[in-house]
Amino acid sequence: MAQREPDIHVADLRKTFRVPEREGGLRAALRSLAHREYRDVDAVAGISFDIAPGEVVGFLGPNGAGKTTTLKMLSGLLHPTSGAVAVLGRAPARREPSFLRQITLVMGNRNQLQWDLPVLDSFEMNRAIYRIPPEEFRRTRDELVDLLDFGDLVRTPVRNLSLGERMKAEIAGALLHRPRVLFLDEPTIGLDVTMQKRIRTFIAEYNRRHEATVLLTSHYMADIAALCRRVVVIHHGEILYDGQLSALGDQFEAVKTISVTLGDGGTDLSVYGEVTARDGATVTLKVPRADASRVAATLLRDHVVSDLTIEDTPVEDVIERVFAREATRA
Amino acid sequence: MREPLRPLRLAWTFFRISALNELQYRVNFFLQLVQSLVAVATALAVLALVFSHTAQLGGWSRDELLAVLGVHILMGGVIRAVIQPNMQRLIDDVRQGTLDYALTKPADAQLLASTREFRIWQGVDVLVGAVVLAVAAVRVEAAVGIWSALGFAVALLLGAILVYCFWLALTIGAFWIVRMEFIVELFDGVYQAGRWPVTIYPGWLRIGFTFLVPIAFAVTLPAEGVTGRLDGATLAGAAAFTAALLAFTRWLWRTGLRRYAGASA
Amino acid sequence: MTAVAADRRAGGMADFYRTVMRTAVIEQFQYRAANYAYMVGMITEPVIYLVVWSTVARAQGGAVEGITPGEFAAYYIVWTLVRNMNIVFTPYGWEQRIREGHLSAMLLRPVHPIHYDLAFFAGWKFVVIVLWLPLAAVLSLVFRPTFAITPLEAVVFTVAIWGAYLIRSFMLWVLGMVTFWTTRVSALYELYFTAELLLSGRLVPLVLMPTWVLAVSNVLPFRWTFGFPIEVLAGDLAPRELLVGLAVQVLWVALGAALVAGVWRLGIARYAAVGN
Repeated sequence: MAQREPDIHVADLRKTFRVPEREGGLRAALRSLAHREYRDVDAVAGISFDIAPGEVVGFLGPNGAGKTTTLKMLSGLLHPTSGAVAVLGRAPARREPSFLRQITLVMGNRNQLQWDLPVLDSFEMNRAIYRIPPEEFRRTRDELVDLLDFGDLVRTPVRNLSLGERMKAEIAGALLHRPRVLFLDEPTIGLDVTMQKRIRTFIAEYNRRHEATVLLTSHYMADIAALCRRVVVIHHGEILYDGQLSALGDQFEAVKTISVTLGDGGTDLSVYGEVTARDGATVTLKVPRADASRVAATLLRDHVVSDLTIEDTPVEDVIERVFAREATRA
Repeated sequence: MREPLRPLRLAWTFFRISALNELQYRVNFFLQLVQSLVAVATALAVLALVFSHTAQLGGWSRDELLAVLGVHILMGGVIRAVIQPNMQRLIDDVRQGTLDYALTKPADAQLLASTREFRIWQGVDVLVGAVVLAVAAVRVEAAVGIWSALGFAVALLLGAILVYCFWLALTIGAFWIVRMEFIVELFDGVYQAGRWPVTIYPGWLRIGFTFLVPIAFAVTLPAEGVTGRLDGATLAGAAAFTAALLAFTRWLWRTGLRRYAGASA
Repeated sequence: MTAVAADRRAGGMADFYRTVMRTAVIEQFQYRAANYAYMVGMITEPVIYLVVWSTVARAQGGAVEGITPGEFAAYYIVWTLVRNMNIVFTPYGWEQRIREGHLSAMLLRPVHPIHYDLAFFAGWKFVVIVLWLPLAAVLSLVFRPTFAITPLEAVVFTVAIWGAYLIRSFMLWVLGMVTFWTTRVSALYELYFTAELLLSGRLVPLVLMPTWVLAVSNVLPFRWTFGFPIEVLAGDLAPRELLVGLAVQVLWVALGAALVAGVWRLGIARYAAVGN
């Protein structure tokens, strides 16, 4: 298969903010009027990645890591300080209408709907804003309403919708013009589990049907795990990891967990690895990643084993540990 | 014992605390001063404009209208510094159910609820108004005697109480029907009418400005005191009206309080 | 299908304006009570001016500078409509617009945000005009205005109130965009609105002003958003003055649009550099 041009291309992207610095108190406030001191802060400190058409990529990092700043540069709201950024082959900062018609940015908690009017009126407004041909508009609208299981809610004023329903409407409104590239910043924040799941399913379905490219940030690992095969982990403005979600553990987690239930019971297994728990006949062991299969084989050979599982550490725990480690290093 | 003075001492303490709070934001003082001065300059320009076309307005001379302007600014300062903020707080408290804190204090609840807030920088207008008033008093030809000065002081106090009663009645009676910002906006609009003596308005409007919105009592009457137009009978009538309205708002307060207690129980 | 063809099929800018205006009408009609209350509150201002100047006129034997109480009444009743036409997106709203991210949302759309504001408030005007009619009737019954309207005046007025709307929209947009650079704008706004009050004809018909004020007001935008449209209907302008007035409005619309475009470009460059 021929290599296709990436939909999103980022090379050595950097964004530096100048923040005024001053001490507290009236005197400092007055002094800063005359002479301001600034400090340069790198919100994004030289990151590079490419995203191919149709890919769904999770963008992970703690608060203040530079995720939102990056999304804003990708959608044209912020100009990069240096480096290259191209989305669909264009420079987002130029904000050309024909470019804006092909992307969308959804931020959780940000309302773009007409508060006092039924959802349908907001959709109608977006039709006019994005100049969607009426035929295509009706088709897309009905499809989205159907996919999100909206039903009669579209006739309800936005102010009377629940948070989750409002988010559904928000997402549907943001997709009416069938964008090829979706930037989703915490699309499920504050929603209950069922609603999170529904929105997740919807995003996956939209991606499948329209081969749209999706860059997604979320605090909920479940979102990432369900949608993204690839993740980009960013911290302090730098990329820590870019690759398969399933391989994240390989790089950051040196151990695997073996749970073994013994028929003969009571045996001390600490020679095989670090014993982290013991519950009756079931023992939990931590062993170096590379040794896991060898240890398992040895256990099976030397003991009467009624049950044995080998597990990677859950991704949440890995990520949490990565960020914690980075924080102490910073 | 000094029991009768206790509520007033309590009110004074509240004033002091909120004034101290606001003293931290001194920049606001200059902003407020600039705004007040721009407003006074505009008002003086309007006055000059009117009197470039006429020698008197409805029987009032230019200097006498300056006195009206002075009282108008001064009273406006009192309203924005004390009356409006307290009424706003009262509404917020009722909405959020936090009025309980005020009700559980061992003091008269109405007085307490009316003296908790004090926007000291809004009080800049009190000073500016007093200066304008002093200039007017010097220029008005009739010498300001001790009696007219006293009449002015009494009329001013009565006016302030009436405006307070009006606001409280409005707050208790209307806040669940219309938004507070609208009441404030409407009052500010109508209050602008007080920049001119109510005697120039057509009869039906004059009655409205006297008894519905007490601008006549709040501004025109004290100004009449300064300009030597106020007679004892009018002042006595104003006092009687004030007493009646005070009693009415007291009754309204108790009724409202019972409703509040019933609703929150 | 090319983008241009798609645009044409979807109706382009005209369709955008129609849709946004329609939305504004539906939304504001829901709020007719609040709209009405607001309009009633607004009326005290011209009534005060009207009473003061009628009193002056009567003291001067029936007219000031040739304006009778009936003509003052006409002036200040038309004032109420022109004032409503003059309501546009407030400069005070910009801080919130930036702080709460509404501006970012607008920037993501493939339409310049001023079109949204122009369309929305223009739609709102239709609700306002309908609500205004009974108010004007009551005011006319109370204050007995004298009107002498020619067909040409009626036509020019219909155009001039929209000219006023456009000029004031542009001016206040430019003023509001100062928020891109500093949020300490209240004193600046205060000065602007004071100048507008004195120099626009909002306070008094400008002929009552000293001649130097009149001269100044001619070369500033304020008069063309307030005094001029009122005088078209309530005053006694010659046909030539009517058309010259419209021409000056066109000039200010062009200048205002250019200012908006220029300041917007600078402001957005700054916004995109520092974020919010």
